[in-house]
Amino acid sequence: MRQTGTQPKTPPDVGRLLLTWVLLLVLGGVEFGASFLPIGHSMRPLIAVPGVLMIILVAVNFMEVGKGPVIVRAFAVAAAFWLLVLLALGSADPLSRTDYYVPRVTAVAEH
Amino acid sequence: MAASPTLAHGFQYAGPSHQAETAVAGMWLFLATEVLLFGGLILSWIYARHFNPLGFAAGARETELRVGTLNTAILISSSFTYALGLSFLRAGNSRRLLHCLALTLLLGAAFLALKFGLEWHDDFRNHLFPTDARFKIVGAENGGARLFFSFYFIGTALHGLHMTVGVALVIWIILRARRGEFSARYHTPVHLVGLYWSFVDIVWLALYPLIYLIR
Repeated sequence: MRQTGTQPKTPPDVGRLLLTWVLLLVLGGVEFGASFLPIGHSMRPLIAVPGVLMIILVAVNFMEVGKGPVIVRAFAVAAAFWLLVLLALGSADPLSRTDYYVPRVTAVAEH
Repeated sequence: MAASPTLAHGFQYAGPSHQAETAVAGMWLFLATEVLLFGGLILSWIYARHFNPLGFAAGARETELRVGTLNTAILISSSFTYALGLSFLRAGNSRRLLHCLALTLLLGAAFLALKFGLEWHDDFRNHLFPTDARFKIVGAENGGARLFFSFYFIGTALHGLHMTVGVALVIWIILRARRGEFSARYHTPVHLVGLYWSFVDIVWLALYPLIYLIR
């Protein structure tokens, strides 16, 4: 059923939103610039760090995660928690595995 | 003394604000499931890149960095214009809401046009589809690069699908706003679509470095 209002008028929050937008563009520029730094393959994922900050900015200032009811924050925290569990458990094996070199000539000889 | 506006709400809710809070919580719960959907995709990137760092770097070097970066700025701006429109509506200015929504729609359409009209078109023309018999990247990096472009096409297609749904939702909100259905006191659908739109922006902020920058 359609509801008609309980929420009072609030002045537009142009300043905060504009500042967030500028910060997002600056962080995007930092991330873009960092991609040209001479960083080794194993450390290159660190380039995404400004991207993580950008995600937090969007969630806090555009999606207003902190302003909603408590259940909203619980769902947001749960999403972040289970994402971390998924990524940590899923990547634990490949990132900690030791690869042993098998000489090609041996493998061919066995066949 | 003037009577206050009628407060209508579903029978199962204590009041209109309870109904609005439930709707917002429901959208956040849906977005939480979406986080895990895209989480699996990101995990596949971590796993495949770990075993094929050179192939992934070779694949990323073939992507259109300028288009990807421009699209990032476009999506950030579209989230900003949508949030600004909602803020104006809360202040009672539904005319400015319409202006902001139109701008959001324009930016969303520009993103889709650049992504699928230009970038994907060039990718296919340059033989970068992973099953292409004349795949551009050859030699030792061939296998890893094909894996990279599998991630690229699945990731961008899934995101593009969400963008298309978002564009349709923004059009729906515009049509309802033109009929004067929203006000400072009632704007739950505008809020919900804004949450979805910003989430799709967040997904792109996660995909952008994985596809274009970590090369």
